[in-house]
Amino acid sequence: MKVFKADVVIVGAGGAGLRAAIAAAEADAAQTVALVSKVYPMRSHTCAAEGGAAGVVDARDSLDAHFHDTVAGGDWLCEQDVVDGFVAECTRELTRIEHWGCPWSRREDGRVNVRPFGGMKNERTWFAADRTGMHLLHTLFQTSLKYPAIRRFDEYFLIDLIVVDGQARGVLVVEIASGEYTLIEAGAVILATGGAARVFRENTNGGIVTGDGMAVAYRHGVALRDMEFVQYHPTCMPGTGLLFTEACRGEGGLLMNRDGYRYLQDYGLGPVQDAPRNKFMELGPRDRLSQAFWHEMQKGRTIDGPYGPVVHLDLRHLGAARLAERLPQICELAREFMGIDPVSAPIPVRPAVHYTMGGISAGAEGDTALGGLFAVGECSSVGIHGANRLGSNSLSELLVFGRRAGEAATRAAREATPAPAGTLLALAEAAARPSQALLRGTGGERIAELRRAMAQTMEDGCGIYRTEASMQTTCDTLAGLRERFTRVAVTDRSTVWNSEWFAAIELGYQLEVAEAMAHSALERRESRGAHQRLDFEARDDARFLRHSLALRSATGAPRITYQDVKITRLPPAVRAYGAAGLAAEAGEKA
Amino acid sequence: MNARRPYIRPMTRWYLRDPFFIEYMAHEGTAVFVWLFALELLAGLVCLALGEAAWNGFLAWLGWLPARLANGLILLMLLYHGITWFLILPRTIPPVRVGHARVPGWVLSGAGMLAMVAASAALAVGAAWLAQGGL
Amino acid sequence: MKPQTKTVAVLRYRPEQDTEPFWQEYEVPFADDTSVLAALNYIKDELDGTLSFRWSCRQAICGSCGFMIAGKPRLACKSFLREFPGKVTVEALAHFPIERDLVVVMDDFIAKIERVKPWLMPREERSPDAGEYRQTPQEMSLYEQFAGCINCGLCYAACPQVGLNPDFLGPAAIALLHRYNLDSRDGGSEARKQLINAEVGVFNCTAVGYCSAVCPKMVDPANAVNVNKMNSARDYFFRFLPRPGNKGDCQ
Repeated sequence: MKVFKADVVIVGAGGAGLRAAIAAAEADAAQTVALVSKVYPMRSHTCAAEGGAAGVVDARDSLDAHFHDTVAGGDWLCEQDVVDGFVAECTRELTRIEHWGCPWSRREDGRVNVRPFGGMKNERTWFAADRTGMHLLHTLFQTSLKYPAIRRFDEYFLIDLIVVDGQARGVLVVEIASGEYTLIEAGAVILATGGAARVFRENTNGGIVTGDGMAVAYRHGVALRDMEFVQYHPTCMPGTGLLFTEACRGEGGLLMNRDGYRYLQDYGLGPVQDAPRNKFMELGPRDRLSQAFWHEMQKGRTIDGPYGPVVHLDLRHLGAARLAERLPQICELAREFMGIDPVSAPIPVRPAVHYTMGGISAGAEGDTALGGLFAVGECSSVGIHGANRLGSNSLSELLVFGRRAGEAATRAAREATPAPAGTLLALAEAAARPSQALLRGTGGERIAELRRAMAQTMEDGCGIYRTEASMQTTCDTLAGLRERFTRVAVTDRSTVWNSEWFAAIELGYQLEVAEAMAHSALERRESRGAHQRLDFEARDDARFLRHSLALRSATGAPRITYQDVKITRLPPAVRAYGAAGLAAEAGEKA
Repeated sequence: MNARRPYIRPMTRWYLRDPFFIEYMAHEGTAVFVWLFALELLAGLVCLALGEAAWNGFLAWLGWLPARLANGLILLMLLYHGITWFLILPRTIPPVRVGHARVPGWVLSGAGMLAMVAASAALAVGAAWLAQGGL
Repeated sequence: MKPQTKTVAVLRYRPEQDTEPFWQEYEVPFADDTSVLAALNYIKDELDGTLSFRWSCRQAICGSCGFMIAGKPRLACKSFLREFPGKVTVEALAHFPIERDLVVVMDDFIAKIERVKPWLMPREERSPDAGEYRQTPQEMSLYEQFAGCINCGLCYAACPQVGLNPDFLGPAAIALLHRYNLDSRDGGSEARKQLINAEVGVFNCTAVGYCSAVCPKMVDPANAVNVNKMNSARDYFFRFLPRPGNKGDCQ
């Protein structure tokens, strides 16, 4: 086994990991920052983000409004002190990557332009056409190249965290190209491994989004927080689940049912507006829009397509020129993948799983309950998204918390005392054994079959609307799948680029994360944000204005406990949009 | 015990691998005919400088059937070279803008070809005029 | 609707077993919207778990799934089985060493990206609190297309010069260099000049132009390379004259 000594090791080189690496390199140019990723950094799923990143710039806008939108959007399950700190730093971070070269779309006078986004009261979403994530990721990657302190480990796969006496001391990784293990020792570890939406069948995510960091932290006793909150994005491609950005609606796109009726007006988002109006109709939050789709489906007012029911996303009135300028990638997707030209025809869409609001329970600097371990980005739960994330908050999150975690981990690494000689290597060798055993297994369970069963049961039991029975079935099915996973077959026994081996390890990660989601969901007997139950339709602040914490037990189901939510200045109120939202706001002020 | 053993594929006869490469080689190959025509012109100039007998010899050569066939072939090859040259032109020059709008590549190629045709026509008309005793 | 199938022939190479690559055929069911990537995933999941290839986003933005499909460099996620009459061949990207099956060794490509100093070297330093640099949409339009590169490597598989001379910087790296040079906020052209004028820089290009034809993102790297030939030649011949410093001066 190879050994590499670093000061800080970061796993995941998407937006959060790269931002953390740059922050660590800037905090101490003399240290070694190991940046590990199972793909080349520009392949990270940050690249698929389309719409934009939130940061207050408009004179009419305010940090207070961004705070309010985020907390209400999260159905009050947000850490309000963290949200306050977050909104205060977004604009500076977005400006900083402008200074690093990010090609933000501009106004005629050369200032950065902003667009409206769902659930946001004012225009505050910075965007780079509809390829914001791609530009943000490439800018961060290219900027990271100027820091000699950053030593990249591209295409190295995370096997385990190395923990000594309650302190994270490094990671065990495998070089995908050679199959060789490397122990990366470090004074601090940052997990920036992204979300886990691939545990669901129809999702917008790339194949790499398998919850690796979440599962590894969870296995070491770190709680996964608010895992029941999984975001369905309302406008996705039927069949593949590919995303049509919320910016489609920000730019004025309309959602219609089979009768050409703008059905959102029936679900507390009206009245119908002629022009896009913030927090009305199509600019409502994602959870509400996906739930409205579900109700339309129940009423038989959706349109039947080859991949099930759909509604229409109509962009025709925007015209060819504006579509080409603002939504080029959307046009490309619709034309090439569906044979539909958004200039002349509405796009059939349906909700698909998009984002995991929950994650590794972490503080405002990404710090976790395990010493020396930090988590940042979608794999973390720092508490800004609550029960439903607002679109464009997550790209800003990567930057704000990536920087904080990079700096905090640098401080932690300085304070870390060296581990006893030989201990780490012995632990790493032990940690390698389960993955090595997979290559020798003789069981007959097929990876693809287990994965398909997992994704199907998550969709069946933990979809847009949930019931006790459906979730219980999912929990039971997952337990069965975990048992079957012990007999999983890896037919490929080679060492060079053995992708089947990594797929098996990922499936192991996914099953544990899925269990944490399903059990957290089962225990939350209320409806809040993205967690909607048919058997408990109302929000229940008395019992459930609390974060769920899923803790791993050695065998069997995860243990679910609860943690209070930090409420500083915005007490729980009715969460409403459209005209009802205005009325509620007036009521709050009165 | 690293088992990596990357395989490097040979580049032999790469120019036949893709129709695009064949077309590229054809384009580059027709440059030979540009060179041949330049040689012919040069020979004509030299003959002109050497006096009437040499010049008449050059004219006789031009009238010789095999030479006429060769020149016909050269013309065809030059046309091919010219057209394909203008087709690649938009990729090789800085973007051309009118106001803020960028001129599309096919317009640049088309304009280049039109200019080629116009220049050839002007030359032909001029030559005919000279031949009929102009000046 | 009766399920149709199509033969997908994949060039396999397993360094621990094979001395050289060989073709292996699979029968894959397909519909009108089945992408080549979906077909490869079907093979991996249902027919042969040992087939290795890179993929992730499925929507032509992560740049992972570039292969030679029916002999041409393409992204598998946006190539569809319906486009190919008869059988479809899938091979690792040309001009890259094959690591295994459809996976190529990208190290050299990434190193070239790193070498062109692809980061903004500000003309004037500015603190984030002082707000953004002003850049009009027109100034942005000069470089925007070159910033759209997703590093998929298709242009390297299309460039015979890359295949013949592996030291050549290649289309994507030069397009990236050009992207920063054209950015009104950047003042790093001088720092990047040495590389572009070097023997491995632009003059390896013979204007085949195929790189731009295969680019899935309309970056037109051939244009970046050839415009830099002009700049480079100008730098050489007029190196004693003062240079105009404005961005987009080659309009």
